[in-house]
Formats: sequence, C-alpha cells, structure tokens
Amino acid sequence: MATTTTDTAQTSPDGQSSPGNRPSDRLTHDDYRELLKQLYLARYFDVRLIKEKKRGRLRGTLYSSHNQEAILVGSLYGLEPMDWISPIHRDMPAFFLKDFRSGWDNPDRMGMTIEEVCSQVWGKATSPGRARDNWSHIGSKSKRIIHSTSMLAGTIPAAAGVVLADRLNGLNTVAVTYNGEGSTAQGVFHEAINFAAVEKLPVVTIIENNQWAYGTPTHYEYPLEDFARRADGYGIPGLVADGQDVIDVYNKVMQAVEHARSGNGPSIVECKTFRAYGHGDHDDDRAEKYRPAEEVEKGRKRDPLHVMKTRMIEMGILTQEEADKHPAEGKGASEVTDADFPAEVSEYLSRGVNFAVKAPLPDETEGAMWVFKEGE
Amino acid sequence: MAIAVTPDTKKNYLTALKEAIAEEMARNPDMICMGEDIGALGGAFGVTDGLIAQYGRERVYDMPISEAAIVGTACGLCLNGKTVMVEMQFIDFISCGFDQIVNMTATYHYRTAGEVNIPMVIRGPAGAYGGGALYHSQMNEAWFANSPGLKIICPSTPYDAKGLMKAALRDPNPVIVYEIKDLYRKREIEEVLPEEDYVVPLGKAKVVQEGDDVTIVTYGQNVYHALGAAEKLKEEGFSAEVIDIRTIVPLDEDTIVESLKKTNRLVVVNEAPRTCGFAGELLSRMTERAFEYLDAPPVRITRMDTPVPWVKPLELYVLPSVAKITEAALKVCRY
Ligand SMILES: Cc1ncc(C[n+]2csc(CCOP(=O)(O)OP(=O)(O)O)c2C)c(N)n1
Ligand SMILES: [Mg+2]
Repeated sequence: MATTTTDTAQTSPDGQSSPGNRPSDRLTHDDYRELLKQLYLARYFDVRLIKEKKRGRLRGTLYSSHNQEAILVGSLYGLEPMDWISPIHRDMPAFFLKDFRSGWDNPDRMGMTIEEVCSQVWGKATSPGRARDNWSHIGSKSKRIIHSTSMLAGTIPAAAGVVLADRLNGLNTVAVTYNGEGSTAQGVFHEAINFAAVEKLPVVTIIENNQWAYGTPTHYEYPLEDFARRADGYGIPGLVADGQDVIDVYNKVMQAVEHARSGNGPSIVECKTFRAYGHGDHDDDRAEKYRPAEEVEKGRKRDPLHVMKTRMIEMGILTQEEADKHPAEGKGASEVTDADFPAEVSEYLSRGVNFAVKAPLPDETEGAMWVFKEGE
Repeated sequence: MAIAVTPDTKKNYLTALKEAIAEEMARNPDMICMGEDIGALGGAFGVTDGLIAQYGRERVYDMPISEAAIVGTACGLCLNGKTVMVEMQFIDFISCGFDQIVNMTATYHYRTAGEVNIPMVIRGPAGAYGGGALYHSQMNEAWFANSPGLKIICPSTPYDAKGLMKAALRDPNPVIVYEIKDLYRKREIEEVLPEEDYVVPLGKAKVVQEGDDVTIVTYGQNVYHALGAAEKLKEEGFSAEVIDIRTIVPLDEDTIVESLKKTNRLVVVNEAPRTCGFAGELLSRMTERAFEYLDAPPVRITRMDTPVPWVKPLELYVLPSVAKITEAALKVCRY
C-alpha cells in the first residue's frame, strides 16, 4: 500500500530502507547545499522564462514547473551519468539538471548545457534539436535524454527499449521517465510498464501528481487517491513521495532506482505536488474558471524552497539569516526579482539567455532536411 | 453562456462551431459530448464553453487522457442509440485513437451488413501556419480518407463551419471534422450567420470565386492562399476559378469537372505532405474524368514530404503559400 509519509519502510521495494538506512542518510551537508542551489536554479529558470515570455520574447507555450521543482531536483540527483531520462512538457529544467552533480560547467557532463537549453527555448540553430520542434521536445542520444513528442506517455516504451539495449550490451543503467498524473490514462503507459515488469527492466516511472491535467481534476482521471496504485496491477512497487520535499523525493526515487539497478525491475514513484499556474501560460488568466482560488492558495503554501530550508535549519546546515538572504520562496513570477536568488544562479542562467538571444536562427532550407539519413 | 444573437452581428469561425454544437445538443436529447477538458474549461479553445453548465455530466464528459477509450466508448454509445461528439484537443492526437476509429468505428456499418450505423463526429483543431510545430499542426485527413467508412469535412468559413458541423451531427455515419484553428478567431472572415436553422450538406463543393483561365481546387486554410494567388494572377492577366471542396469524403467531383470544362487547367493544393496527400487523389480523379478537357498537365502544390517544423522560416519553407500557388498556376496558364 502506498503511503504519503516520509517513512519509507512500508513501501520499500527491497526491504532495505528503514529510518536510519535511507538513501539520504548518505548525503553530506554539501549535498544539501547543492540541492538547495539547484532548487533555486530550477525556480529561477522558470520565473525568468515567464518574464521573457510576458515581454513577448519567446514563442510557443510555457508549461511552468513552479512549485514542482523538488521532483526534478530530487529525482535527478542520485542518478549515474550513464542513466537515461525522459522529461516531458513541464520538466524543462531536467535537460540541464541531468548529471548536474558532475559540475555545472563540466564539459563531460551527461546533461545539456544551459546554452543548449536556452537556445532551444529561443528557437535557435544552436539548440540540440536545431529548433525543429518546440520547447521540451528535445533530447540527446549522447547525453542519454530521450526526445519526447507531444503524445503523452509516448516515451515510456522507448525508455524500456534503451535500458533493454544497455542490458544486452552488458551495461547496468536505469531509465527514469517523467509523466503527469493525467498522462497515466494513456494506453501506452500501461503497455510499456507491463512489458518492463515482464522483463524486469530498470524503468522508474515518476508520476508528477499536480492535482490537475489541464482543466480536469484528478477525480475524473482515476478513481483512487494515489496514482502509485497503478503499480499494483503489474506487481511492482508503487511509492508515494512528498513532491514538495526534495529529500523525500530523493529517497523514494533512489529506492526505486536501487531496486531497478539490482535487477528487480520497474517501479512507480508518485510525487504529490500542485500546479502553481495555468496549464500553460496561455491558460494563466483562465485557470480560475475551473480551479477555485482557495485551492490554488493552499496548493502553493508548501514551497519546495521553504521546505528544504526548514529541513536544513533543523539539521544545522543553514542559519535563519542565511535562509533569509535569498527569499524567493512563496513569491510569484511577477513579485520575485534577481535579488531573491543567489548571484551564481542568476548569472548562470543569464549566460545561457545571452548566448541564445545572439544565436542565429536555423536556415529555412533545414525545414526539408533530415527526413531520411542520407548516404552510405 | 448564451450568445446574444442580433441579426447583423458578425461571427467568427469559432462561434459558428460553438453555436452548431450547442444548437444540436438542444435539438437532440440523445446527443453526448466527450473529450479532454471540455467541461469546466470548455475545451482548449472554448468550443464547448457553457455546455457543462447547461447539461451536466450526463451529457458532457471530461474524459481521462485516453483517446482510444474516448473514441471506443463513443462508439459503444452510438451502437446503443446515442449520437456522440468527440473532441480531440488537437487533431494531431487523433493518432492515439487510430485503431478505434479506423477498425472499430469506420467499418461497423460494413461488417454488420448495415445493421449498425455509428453517428459519431470526431472534431478538433487542425492545420499549420501558426508555429504549432510537429504535433500541433497536422492535417492528417489522408490517413482517414484511406479508411473506408469515414466522412471527412474541412470548413473554411464561419457559415460553412456551422452548416457543415450541423450536417455532420445529423449524419448517420462517423464524420471527422478538421477545424482550421488559425481561422478560429480570424477577424477578416467573420460573417453574419442566418438566424434560422440551416445545414450545409456534406459532399458539396463551393465555387468561391469564378474565373475562366485556371481552376484552383483546395480546402481549409489554403482557400485563402488560393484567393491570394488569384489576385496575383489577375495582375498577370489570368482569371482563376477557386473551388473549396469543403467535404473531402465524399468528394463532389462534378463541380470540379464542370469548372474544368470551362478553364481547361487545374491546380490543386493541400496542406498535408505530398505523397498520398488528398491533392494526389484529386489529380487522379480529374485525370480519369476530365482528361479530354485539360489543355495543360495538372499540378499540385502541397507541403513538402516533411513534418511541420517549429521555427517560422522553416515552417513557411515547407508549406504551400500564395507565392508557390501563383507560380504553379502561371506555369499552367502559360503552358
Ligand atoms: C495523447 C495526448 N492527448 C492530449 C494531449 C493534450 N495535453 C497536453 S498536456 C495535457 C494535460 C496533461 O496533464 P498531466 O499529465 O497531469 O500533466 P501536467 O500538465 O499536469 O503536468 C493534455 C491533455 C497530449 N499532449 N497528448
Ligand atoms: Mg497533472
């Protein structure tokens, strides 16, 4: 049975994790500081893009990950460089956060550079996908990021495929896929997880349960409270994490990852969170049509930055004074300023933005290229 | 929310669709709507706005993100006496319900020797030119034109949108509607709609503009590109007849043949890729039926055989345009 507490003992897929023996017990104080910084960066990326979009500098739809950053930061932190991920529309920061632990500017890092990600958002030729498709529809074979389409849940079978290939080649890797809770109603979601369970493939499926799929509430999507229960039908572990708490996400995902890496097969990790804005920026002013204001206010209360800072203060890693120095938590994109973020965070992203703004557009003739691989 | 109807109020394409669906819901108590986010939100573009307030969940279903189950459930409802309007949030996502459409729904009448008919309308925003990229720009009508049992329509004006949608919702067969989302709120095409109930029958093409030298046959967004090309042709001394087929299946061949008897020259345009796009079918039928009337080899203008790329210059590069149609038509005229 799934549980929402931070106690993982009940949901342990391998019987290994109990309080005192959690993956996070191996994290150092520096890890905590790094995780907090990454939360800041993910938030800054989001609010900066919201601002750029409002100024009319960007095309396409922005699916904000505001208030959901702990899921990306916490789930990516423990992965090995050679592991695979498949982010979707709300996961833009995942493209650069992958393997971030190897060093933000490490040229060998198995994640995209901030310049690449910004180039994609700005629709420039320097994007890894040369801006052929928009926003989150990019990836990198060499960095082991699966390229998504718009069709929700469409990359989970590919996630099963890449780790199957790695296994056939003698490589022990894990694939982590990201999905909104609404997307779990797609047939392909179930077909892929079924096969992964049959073959005991190392696929960890994260469900970002932000309570809404566009204008549809969860009770019209699934009859049970916990989407992690989707796992029951396949006899695989279904864990529930507090999606506002980067450490709880880290623990649950690492449990599932270790389970997968030891050859025990797939898991589902549901991360409970709340969508802070409209479905996309086109929906921001309209969402009140279907979402009561009180629900939004309540859902935004537990800002992941605040939750992490509170933890760190309790653990003696952070002083209150340090925590208050960059008070980005609890602020909407329109209220927050650069001063609310550590300078290294805003400077890092600004570097990407400046690069992207100056980068060239792809030549129009590229529209007809790469339908087939030519030659040989 | 009810729409204030004053006789001379011009209405946009989106409002026309909205009215057609609302009026059919009122007329037919057995009609049901299903789709993603069509309830409280009123659909991604607002086409079903207000229906949930009026009819509740008994007749308006916010469905899980399950296109196959949406179409299949609608098929069952139709099998048992209901009429269902299915909204695809974007017509691109119709691929996720493909099997239920082409194998379950389209064939039902055929494989039951006429015992069963499925009065279902599957509709959704379609078409490129708006920067929607690969998966929010498609015109995939050819997939379904190649699946017998499905009617397909594609209105280009508010009047046709309302009249064709009503005809589709009254048709005893499954009908797929390609709504051109770039036209939804286009000011220039707003028009006054009749106050009284009307339908535009399926399977009837429309001569949008008369001309003598060349016939340009198309549908959807490209009707406007064809009209733009006709203007350019006029500057060169040629008069073009522009035909909007409006219904893709069943095709009104006669209207085109009649036109070719007069102009003897043919250009067809579709937004979908070239290979096996509907323009190819139009060319084949006209070479079969009107070969003797033709004074020049007919030509088609289509998207290149590529997906629709995101960034504007690339998108326009691969799609039909006024310039591309004009150039082709001039060649045909001067042949
Ligand atoms: C197959 C398919 N159907 C419909 C859509 C349109 N669509 C895009 S996002 C979305 C809602 C997704 O909700 P959820 O999975 O909960 O993710 P969230 O946006 O809440 O993060 C819908 C219906 C789509 N992209 N793909
Ligand atoms: Mg959701």
